[in-house]
Amino acid sequence: MSVERTVEIVPEAGLHARPAALFVETVTDHEADVEAGPPDGDLVPAQSMIAVTSLGVGQGDELRLVADGPDAESVLDELERILTTPEDELEA
Amino acid sequence: MAARTLTGTGATPRSGLGTVVWYDPEITLPDADEAVDENAERDRFADAVETARAELETERDATAERVGEDEAAIFDAHIQFLEDPTIESAVEESIGDGRPAANAVDDAFGEHIEQFEGMEGRMAERADDLRDVRDRLLRLLTGGERVNLADLPEGSVVLAERLTPSDTAQLDPETVAGFATVTGGRTSHAAIFARSLALPAVVGLGEELNDIENGTEVVVDGEAGQLLVEPDDDERAAAQAEEGADVIEAAVETSDGREIEVAANVGRPAELEPAAARGADGVGLYRTEFLFLDRQSPPDEDEQYEAIRDALDTFPEGRVVVRTLDIGGDKQIPYLDLPEEENPFLGERGIRRSLDPDAELFRTQLRALLRAGADGAGELNVMFPLVATVEELEESIAAVDDAAADLDDRGIDYERPSLGVMVETPSAVFMADEFAKRVEFLSIGTNDLTQYVMAADRENERVGHLHDPTHPGVVRAIGRTVEQAHANDAWVGMCGEMAGNPDVTDLLLGLGLDELSMSAVTVPDVKVAVSETEYSATRERADSARRVATRSEVHETIQ
Repeated sequence: MSVERTVEIVPEAGLHARPAALFVETVTDHEADVEAGPPDGDLVPAQSMIAVTSLGVGQGDELRLVADGPDAESVLDELERILTTPEDELEA
Repeated sequence: MAARTLTGTGATPRSGLGTVVWYDPEITLPDADEAVDENAERDRFADAVETARAELETERDATAERVGEDEAAIFDAHIQFLEDPTIESAVEESIGDGRPAANAVDDAFGEHIEQFEGMEGRMAERADDLRDVRDRLLRLLTGGERVNLADLPEGSVVLAERLTPSDTAQLDPETVAGFATVTGGRTSHAAIFARSLALPAVVGLGEELNDIENGTEVVVDGEAGQLLVEPDDDERAAAQAEEGADVIEAAVETSDGREIEVAANVGRPAELEPAAARGADGVGLYRTEFLFLDRQSPPDEDEQYEAIRDALDTFPEGRVVVRTLDIGGDKQIPYLDLPEEENPFLGERGIRRSLDPDAELFRTQLRALLRAGADGAGELNVMFPLVATVEELEESIAAVDDAAADLDDRGIDYERPSLGVMVETPSAVFMADEFAKRVEFLSIGTNDLTQYVMAADRENERVGHLHDPTHPGVVRAIGRTVEQAHANDAWVGMCGEMAGNPDVTDLLLGLGLDELSMSAVTVPDVKVAVSETEYSATRERADSARRVATRSEVHETIQ
């Protein structure tokens, strides 16, 4: 069963630099397949830094996340935290 | 004539002659037609990724420690690009088709680099990230090694695509004759760093630079913004002559015998020796906040003590003017948790922070300074930044008393330094007489003073025409400050950009300044300007400059 949620991006850098690195690292560390993309567009594999950054997601944009696997819920919780925390408060 | 001349942007108005050492040489890919052992290439790729990851982690940690978490984040991003599964599978597949690992890596990244290059803004920067990661892998796969920047032979001219903060920090100005880069502009990190070390440098020379080979003799002409390849005898002689001829080590006086102290502005221990080498009489502005940047917690008392003692030992016969912590405004220190303010330049900065939220840091700093004053060879002077009221000054002086009492309690040797006030606010100009009665000296910080007198943001180019200290309003403010200080037996220095401009030395001497402090690189020029000035004749011109109505009239009196 896949779960999904749509999150509004808070970090000023959008999904680049540190937020993007943390995002991809988090996906890799969980047992779940995660895809990401615009609410009404194509999804890309979230464990690829190239794919994630090429989405060009900026501050205030919405991002749809779809996860499948044993860690699906927990990975989405963690990704939501990363995407909704201002960059300077983000703990590595 | 040199065999070839490349033109870019000069970063430092100095020339240097030396031998080319490439930092990041161009990579030559293996011949793709040669048969390769698939398994061996796969292993080589895996090893290269592993090594690259280890390098990135080391650089990440070093940058986080030295510069800050924000700057280190780029390495985290690079690690994720390095381990991108899309790249990995493309490389594996390509190796399976008989391509050497290096060519496979080049192909796999190339496609995505092109894709990002076609995009705008932040997305285009990702192409740079991918190029960096690709080149790192290719260097490992083709056996190319980076030279150790901290250990270069004397007279090296470093050539590079670009130099990062961690690269430039390793360069030793004692052995490096200069550097030149393919990319970068006047305000790039490398350019700013070069200026602070008075290191000849030209940036933004373009792809042509890649043609210049290791071991070639070149002149880095930072004045003209050129790189002269295989210079002729005249060009070589000119570069060598410039390297030393200008420096006047002795104290200088005007042609009619008024001694003027010409000092350097410094912010880091590494800038002390270059300042002395350029003939600075001492330090007119030690920006102590630089000791607090590039790290994750404030330096303790001993570390600050040692930094200041080093400065005093570098100028045993001179004076070292240390400015206490000046943060806020545009200077942010992550671990101090500075508030977000609507107008940071009009907010809690300079002494305002030291007297309240940073009172503990301030007292620690003052203890370090008092101890250094007793042990260091030179004469320590301490000044407070952004003072606007007499109350602030009196509280600051009381903080010095408290620091002295702490040291008395601990039985530690110390010496009370001469104290001073930085004149940066219009209030300080009007209160200069009251300040001068309470301290030994005033020092005019023209960058901030101009910003506040003219109400023109230093960083806002739209009001750049107002941000000029030769506007009569600023000239009068300087004149008034000097007059009031002298009337109350205080000496007056200047430590803004204006002090380092030899075109206005005549005006500044005429206004009565006793000391001028500037970037090390301009010290020789200003020393020459001082020795060519007749002080008695400048007085009248300066008086006129204080009476005229417009900036162009001020400029006429300077001519």
